[in-house]
Amino acid sequence: MSQNPYIDVLINTILTVLFIIIASFGLGTLARTIAKWVGASKRKQENTFAGYLFAAPWIVGFLIFVVIPLGYSLYWSFTDYRVTDNAPPNWIGLSNYAQLINDAGFRSSIVNTLFLTAVGLPLMIGLALFLAVLLNQKTRGEHIFRMAFYLPVILGFNTAVLLSWRLMLNTGTGIINQLIRAFSNAFPPFSYLNRAVIFVQEIISALFLGISSGKFNLLNRVWDAGLPAANRVPMWVESPLWTKMSVIMLMAWGCGAMMLIFLAGLNNIPRELHDAADVDGANGWQHFWKISFPLLTPYVFYNLIVGMIACLQIFEPIYVLYRDNQPLVPSAISMVYYLWQTSFRNFEIGYGSAISWLILFMILTVTAIQFMIQKRWVNYELY
Amino acid sequence: MRTKLLTLLLLVSVLVTGCATATTQAPATEAPVVPTEVVATEEPVVLTEVPPTEVPPTEPPPAEPVTLKIYLLDYTPDTITWLKEEINPAFEAAHPGTTVEITEGSWSGWDTTFAGFFAAGEGPDIINLGSEMNTLYGPSLADMDPYLAEAAWPDIVNFGPALENAKYEGKLRGLPIFTAPRYVFCRSDLAVGTLPPMSFADWVTFAKENTIIDPDTNSLTQQALVPVDALSMADWQWWLLVYYSIGGTLYKADGTPNFDSPEALATTQFMLDMRQATYGPATDAVGGLPTGQGSVIDVNDETNANNGAVCLAHSGWAAPAFDRPVWENISIEPFYGDSENFPNSKPVVLAFNDWLAVADYSPNKELAAEWLKVAFTKEANHKWNETMSLIPSRNDAQYGYVTDSPQLKLEAELASQYGVGFAGIAEAAKLSTIMQEALGKLITEELTPEDVITQIQEQYSAALGK
Repeated sequence: MSQNPYIDVLINTILTVLFIIIASFGLGTLARTIAKWVGASKRKQENTFAGYLFAAPWIVGFLIFVVIPLGYSLYWSFTDYRVTDNAPPNWIGLSNYAQLINDAGFRSSIVNTLFLTAVGLPLMIGLALFLAVLLNQKTRGEHIFRMAFYLPVILGFNTAVLLSWRLMLNTGTGIINQLIRAFSNAFPPFSYLNRAVIFVQEIISALFLGISSGKFNLLNRVWDAGLPAANRVPMWVESPLWTKMSVIMLMAWGCGAMMLIFLAGLNNIPRELHDAADVDGANGWQHFWKISFPLLTPYVFYNLIVGMIACLQIFEPIYVLYRDNQPLVPSAISMVYYLWQTSFRNFEIGYGSAISWLILFMILTVTAIQFMIQKRWVNYELY
Repeated sequence: MRTKLLTLLLLVSVLVTGCATATTQAPATEAPVVPTEVVATEEPVVLTEVPPTEVPPTEPPPAEPVTLKIYLLDYTPDTITWLKEEINPAFEAAHPGTTVEITEGSWSGWDTTFAGFFAAGEGPDIINLGSEMNTLYGPSLADMDPYLAEAAWPDIVNFGPALENAKYEGKLRGLPIFTAPRYVFCRSDLAVGTLPPMSFADWVTFAKENTIIDPDTNSLTQQALVPVDALSMADWQWWLLVYYSIGGTLYKADGTPNFDSPEALATTQFMLDMRQATYGPATDAVGGLPTGQGSVIDVNDETNANNGAVCLAHSGWAAPAFDRPVWENISIEPFYGDSENFPNSKPVVLAFNDWLAVADYSPNKELAAEWLKVAFTKEANHKWNETMSLIPSRNDAQYGYVTDSPQLKLEAELASQYGVGFAGIAEAAKLSTIMQEALGKLITEELTPEDVITQIQEQYSAALGK
């Protein structure tokens, strides 16, 4: 290219546009030729050409930006390739996959991811459903509430959000613990409840950390210490026993997208069904469990699938909360964080590619199982 | 109609592609920055085959326009303005046809960005690296000895010990900008007991006497020593500083890791003792200092309350600004180790630095070296660091604001006297991960100090293939 950056950009843009046009015509022509070979009518051939011509820009982009990198990633997963070594990938067969089986760090990341999925996803779905039911009522300012609950999805995990959460989760002065202290002082039974919740949470976390590391002395210590002291509050971003719960809080905070899906589902339920239930004397609880929830199951299933995939790929909240607090990372590290660490901190692209393919395989398996089980509980009668 | 349109498009694309190819090939044959090794591989026979009469004597061709790309991380607006308004115009004037382009990035996410550059084999000519990254990126960085070693640039002898961090396999890969050692800053008006603590036992006693826990919030309101990571007090860089101070070395004579040494065990035990002397046992679940504004060792102007630290083991940039009144009560010391138990103990300040490296994929290595020479003259290195109040890496650039400020002067003296480099760590990123994981489990008492060093030794040995 020329050394003038502006001319470079211009030439690149023109070439890109031309490439897309030519590739689109090429793909359309190929589709028409195939249609001709299979004996399609003249009109069908023209329709095929037009269809593929207009779909081609996306198909070409998909091939270049998804399929080709996917192919490279698959190839690299069988190689020893370190991007900073200034050397080409070296074919090592299945060694990367074999190494993964014995990799304690990766095993630990699987356990953490399962914890986050098993605890975080039901919480997210439950909270989203609860908010959707609340916002489905005709109340004043419902649009403001909807916007407020959806806002976290738009905000994402930027620096301002990170700082806000860190301030809110500070053990001594954070607003969340200040509220817990205030409630505990005002209502002594709440204090006992708080301490019991802390104890149970720490026992569960210590158990999972023990499973990750293969040593259970932390669990024994937490158990031996017994019910926490009266002044105890959660150690959100300060203790390995609380790192995963903090991540789950951030996950739950971002449940706005699920809430919108549920809201759409609730609006789709015919009013007559509720009117008929009213005639039969059903109360609110029965309305929900006998009418709304069964008819919402396709939406629950959708959120479950999408949420499960998102949870198994969780990265951002952990990166946001703990990237500056490295000693806490191992207690919260997820599979994708481990993948990022391997690929972009250690620059082991070959090993990282193997991890990514294993994660893909796990996600596909879990999703396939969900699709097989859904026939037993998802109700499609309305649709 | 469609056939005509297609033909037209095809012709246009062939024309444009042809033009682009022509412009791509031109600089490869004419640019003055063609790597010397390419010339070296050319067969001399080819030269003799060209009839000399066919090349008429002409004026040397005008230099091809070149863009020198520089990627900097988290520099102050003052620094960037100075580079853009003074250094780059001066360089561009001396190198007609050259444009210098500075891209500003951040230490947050730099590794992903740099991985992209190296994977693509294309990116900025000059990149900003940290101390320990010479071993990580070394194979992908250009050998700059032909341009920057003493034979080519006599000024290189003026650089201090930070220059070692800019080398890989003994060859220069770039130049260091500043040196930012880690000192121990202590508030004499807050401290109970003698300052500075001179042994591990003194430090543990000091931590017990100078830490205050608020029983209402079960959190610290005063922390005797705030090291790099105030919460865990077991950051790997802090561990290395303590380890070096008692004479520890990272590798044995045969190159295997030395984490199974008595010094490593003592350092790890010290980490745990300090953490427990400050926060109590892990099950007490004491919270850390409140997150606040400004230096943790400073005083809040509005409330007149202390920000919480009695001592701070950190780089100068984490200390209060030099014009703050609190400096009347702040001492600056190295970390003294533990000569009572380890006779090889020595005062240590761990010296970090930023440096600019030239990527091996850069087609403009010579030009990059020229830019570095302009940006790293005595005056330029001084000015660059003045915009950040840091210590210049060139010894002869440590004048003016450095010697005028009592704090910076003392810091520079301590750095030259007790500075220990933070470079040459093989597989630094992996060691960091391995150590953080083990040390994280130390503070929760999930692992004992013996377990920790055993785990680090095993995992780091495996990472090095030893």
